[in-house]
Amino acid sequence: MNWLDHLPALMLAVPLFGAFIAPLTAWGGKGLRNAWFLLVSVVFSVLAILLWSRVGAAGPLIYVMGGQGWNIALPSGISIPVRILMEIDAFSAFMVLLGAVASLAGAVFSVAYMDRFSGMEKFVALYFLMVTGMFGMEVTGDFFNFFVFLEISSVASFGLVAFWRDRGEALEAAFKYMLVSSLGAMMVLLAVAFLYSRYNVVNMATLGKVIEWGMVEKTALVLFLTALAMKCGSVPMHMWMPDAYAEAPAGVTCALIAVSQASLYGLFRVCFTIYGAFMGSPVIPWVIIILGILSMFIGVSMAVIQKEVGRLIAYHSVSQVGYMLLGFGVGLLALGDARAMADYGFTALKGGVFHIVNYTMYKGLLFLAAGALFYATGSRNLNEMGGLARRMPKTMVLFMIAAAAIAGLPPFNGFVSKLLIYESSFAVHPILAVFAMVTSVLTLASFVKIFQTAFLGPELKKFAGVKEVPGAMLVGMTVLAVAIIGLSLFPTWSLNNLVEPAAKALMDQTSYIGAVFAAAATGGGL
Amino acid sequence: MWTKVLTGFGYWDVYSWLAFFVIAGGMVFFIRSLGRKDYRQGTEQDEIFYGSNPVPEDGEDLKVPASSAYWGYTQALKPFYEGLVGLHTGLATDYAGWYILVTAFVALLILV
Repeated sequence: MNWLDHLPALMLAVPLFGAFIAPLTAWGGKGLRNAWFLLVSVVFSVLAILLWSRVGAAGPLIYVMGGQGWNIALPSGISIPVRILMEIDAFSAFMVLLGAVASLAGAVFSVAYMDRFSGMEKFVALYFLMVTGMFGMEVTGDFFNFFVFLEISSVASFGLVAFWRDRGEALEAAFKYMLVSSLGAMMVLLAVAFLYSRYNVVNMATLGKVIEWGMVEKTALVLFLTALAMKCGSVPMHMWMPDAYAEAPAGVTCALIAVSQASLYGLFRVCFTIYGAFMGSPVIPWVIIILGILSMFIGVSMAVIQKEVGRLIAYHSVSQVGYMLLGFGVGLLALGDARAMADYGFTALKGGVFHIVNYTMYKGLLFLAAGALFYATGSRNLNEMGGLARRMPKTMVLFMIAAAAIAGLPPFNGFVSKLLIYESSFAVHPILAVFAMVTSVLTLASFVKIFQTAFLGPELKKFAGVKEVPGAMLVGMTVLAVAIIGLSLFPTWSLNNLVEPAAKALMDQTSYIGAVFAAAATGGGL
Repeated sequence: MWTKVLTGFGYWDVYSWLAFFVIAGGMVFFIRSLGRKDYRQGTEQDEIFYGSNPVPEDGEDLKVPASSAYWGYTQALKPFYEGLVGLHTGLATDYAGWYILVTAFVALLILV
């Protein structure tokens, strides 16, 4: 037996094991705890790369837990999968890979960033639990487990947002996040219950095969759509996001971005794979497009007027999620119409998928740079900052890379995904592209504001003692900066190897469904 | 790996942009080289001109704070921003309320 067959299970087992062992590392002191933090993060990152390359080579993977064998989806006499089933196609593997990179960068950064705080073994345990939940949402093949993993990642996130519990703002942010997340999770559970009551299954592939367009299915879709759109920060359900992202420790926010992307993954898995061409109405694609436009424009408009660096960047997260919703909404609109899909739909999907990877990398880096500013100056308020380029030149360069990428300045990667979204949304209606471009201009304006007020200007006496942040924090930021530069310099490679397989997998409903039922016919999972 | 990204409508070529920046950078350095040769760092040539007034010692008295950035833009769009900021109340009940409202609205669109 090849151990690589168990990669899907290992993706969950490694961070989960890391979480349960983390409290014990307190006995070995800071060195052991940090070593464990980094070791587990590196291991799950390597596993994510292996999983991604294996899926790329062999197609969708099936892994069954608690059954006769890991590759037997349908034992004899059973017509629907009833065990805990994981299914990883190119889109899932892509999301797992991104989540692993963001989590690794956040972990490396946190080693130095959180060094002066106590209770770090709890921090590490919660961090790994959050990562487990995120991976689980992306590899699971059934809806009930999706809900379970959603809750695991959410509960761990609440604890991490409130980690600095001496700050009232952090507790308040965690409470608000908990309130809306719990409400959303209940709606997801209700949606799962609706589908289960109708079809007696929670397996995604089976549901995708049998689903019809009736009242129950519509109700479940509405509940899924709004709950997952809220979890990924879509306007007007975005208000928890600036609170939580700004108050969480910077390394956590870097990983939280990937966690919110897991909700986005869930939303598109539901829309494309479960409902897909069965969705007999353009209302849902248009709802997603309008949520995207609102998120882009309102997110960036609020960002321009912020004075706290973390909140400013967090409002940009809302805005960037809007681009993805727009891209996927246009792709969903074209689903089922081969000509529209060829004309603009697939381009929109590629733009949306490419924007996920770009966003995860540059937004993670921006939050880490904001954390570096807070670490060095003790302030989050841009009004109090200035002239830091002299004291923190390396942080400034890393910030500039991320800011140029998010603003879509050539030659950085942000422009490529935005170009794909502009052009494809223009084909649906020019006003969509106009909103997207105006948002991009305002994005540039707000990052110029951070750059000018924090890094430029005369030297301030109160910052005479400020030094560049420790090496580990710079390494954490550099991981993401290297990814941004790589994506910028090799856009064709990124599109061919990362983006297109994921976009095709999302579009190809039959492949996802077929993988489970083919496993029944052949007795194999590959 | 080295080819253009075709979007279906146009294309993106990062290396053309890099070539552009190299050429533009070369032109900048060329123009700079035509400047005065008698500049000396650390002399009175470096001093800030502050409207003939003494330059404040602390940069704090010189800098433009973040809240002053884009003042004209925010003033011009004051009604829009008053409405927008007014929606962001920070109240947890409003957070939940918006979520319920959107769910109800989408349900109406789909179910009715």
